[in-house]
Amino acid sequence: MTSLDEFLALVGDQLGLPLTTEDADTPLDDLIGWDSVQLLGLLPVLEERGGRALSLPAILEADSLGRLYDVVTA
Amino acid sequence: MELTARDYPEVRHRLRDLSEADLLRAGHRLARLDPDEVLRLHPATPVVTIAITGHGTVAGIVPSLTAELARHGLLLRPHVTDFGVHVVELADPGSGLHRSRADLALCLLDATAVFEEVPVPWTPADVARALENRLRLLEKLVARYTEVGAGGLVLTTLPLPRVFPAQLVDHRSKAELGARWREFNAALLRLTERHPVLTVLDLDPLVAEGIPVADPRADVYARAHLSPGLLAAVAREVGHLAAHRAGRSRKVLVLDLDGTVWGGVLGDDGVHGVEVAGGYRGEAFRAFQRVVKQLGSQGVLLAAVSKNDREPVERVFAEHTGMTLRADDLVRITANWRPKPDNLVELAEALALDVDSFVFADDSAYECGLVARRLPGVAVVRLDADPALHVPRLLRDGWFGAAELTAADRGRVARYREEARRQDFLAGVDSIADYLRELDLTVDVSAPADHEVPRLSQLTLRTNQFNLTTTRLQPADVRALLADPTALTLAVRATDRFGDNGIVGAVFARRVDDVLHLDNLLLSCRVFGRGIEEAVLTTVLRHARDTGLTAVLGRYRPSAKNAKVADLYPRSGFTEIGRDADGTAFRHDLTDLADPPAHLTLTGTLGGPPS
Repeated sequence: MTSLDEFLALVGDQLGLPLTTEDADTPLDDLIGWDSVQLLGLLPVLEERGGRALSLPAILEADSLGRLYDVVTA
Repeated sequence: MELTARDYPEVRHRLRDLSEADLLRAGHRLARLDPDEVLRLHPATPVVTIAITGHGTVAGIVPSLTAELARHGLLLRPHVTDFGVHVVELADPGSGLHRSRADLALCLLDATAVFEEVPVPWTPADVARALENRLRLLEKLVARYTEVGAGGLVLTTLPLPRVFPAQLVDHRSKAELGARWREFNAALLRLTERHPVLTVLDLDPLVAEGIPVADPRADVYARAHLSPGLLAAVAREVGHLAAHRAGRSRKVLVLDLDGTVWGGVLGDDGVHGVEVAGGYRGEAFRAFQRVVKQLGSQGVLLAAVSKNDREPVERVFAEHTGMTLRADDLVRITANWRPKPDNLVELAEALALDVDSFVFADDSAYECGLVARRLPGVAVVRLDADPALHVPRLLRDGWFGAAELTAADRGRVARYREEARRQDFLAGVDSIADYLRELDLTVDVSAPADHEVPRLSQLTLRTNQFNLTTTRLQPADVRALLADPTALTLAVRATDRFGDNGIVGAVFARRVDDVLHLDNLLLSCRVFGRGIEEAVLTTVLRHARDTGLTAVLGRYRPSAKNAKVADLYPRSGFTEIGRDADGTAFRHDLTDLADPPAHLTLTGTLGGPPS
């Protein structure tokens, strides 16, 4: 995962959400169609792409897609 | 994949052959569609409301469930309850779950619910007590749901994750825990014997396929106690259950022969050269044939459609000593060189069934692709060159799901074979009228006995063509009608020179003041065109007149399948009195009643003459 745009494209494709760069800073609670349960399904996909285990608590604590990207690429 | 509300009627075809991961991705997209928008664009889409509740975080099942229902052409309207409130939601008649009037309520249970109620440290005896309490609670909730719930209730057994027995160091305690746990699950499964609204999905066979019960991180951090894979497998089972309740169960399994039922190529290898028993591959085909025969014994109609000459195919069934399947197990063997879709259409006509009720299995990707494209309503099971995989592939989907079997299911092949003989007989008489006279048909119209309730319910669920209003009734609905003094519920039986057809039709009516409302009239498609429908209507009209009623009202509600009965009421002396979104209303004023057809004899409590 090299760029934020690639990350958003992956998440959008996985969940069927039309995401743009502007959505990166939107609080997840305000993102239309977002449901935190979806993070559980996203976790294995992100781990497979990144080739390493991620911290689910850190992912659940992220409050925007931008912060989520930071966790995934940290 | 682009999936919009506008595309919804096409969605089921696009979901064919998707991998589990792609199906889930499609489910996320479909779950985002607004059901009301889909209905606005496609008002005929059948909707199933499913309330989802459970002990942990259960919303994760919604995308899978949406996709699974869409595979059957159904539209899901989900109602997900809040976290941790399933007991209240099921018990309180004013809860959101009950107010949703769901067709099905799905309650997802897991082991955590039990272990939260035992002290630490715990013993198997503590767990046994918690399980007993849980079972008593569940039985009360089921009874409560029966009183106040709108539809069916689905529970799951509780798989036992290894982390629990692994906390016990001695084998005697492990065994004690394992035994207690299974006693609980067995008792849960047995609740279905006493509670007709209840279905319990046994998750052990799903877990035995290698699906983990839970993901440890989601389990702890998100209180999602069931893994996404297990939720997807449950969603598949619930999808088939919903399809069955909506009258969309499959009825016919059509099999290719070379490479599917036996190994080798009959035209090359000869009648005794095909592999059906013995040897590695022969045993695999034998195993497949045994499974097919097992399905056939439960009312699934089996047929073969093969590109072969007819004579050698018949000889394999008749002469090959290794064959498990015999010609008698099949309603029809079609062996010719025509395109398979044409043969399937012709078979559907011969059986008087819709081709959408077919499942087709073939090891040829070409044939599977051709059938899928030409006949998109047929469920296609793609087999390949390894016959050991035929069985799991065939059984991956519960296409032939039924709530319970009736006597009619077990004798179905014989009756359809009788039907084939009737058709041969038909070819030997000069006219339909002669045929009907010689058929020696007796029609009995009577109130059903209690043990016939499942068959009446099944008729409403399986019959699509001769079904005036397509109102589906579960067994509990039929029982409620039998207990209602204003309702008139009748079973139609038919017997002829070839045998007893059993219950072939039903009438659902109710008296309101001095008018009889015909809510629905159904007839099995096997017996169309023999005057039975006229005989039944005449019986009902005479009964109405003789009991002092002034009129009979009927309604025709069009569906995708029932066009052939659109003119039944006007043909039978009814006058059209109105037309609206719910169909066409008809009225018969009972002044001029036709005689029943002369070629048949009417009997029964309502069909008179006194017997």
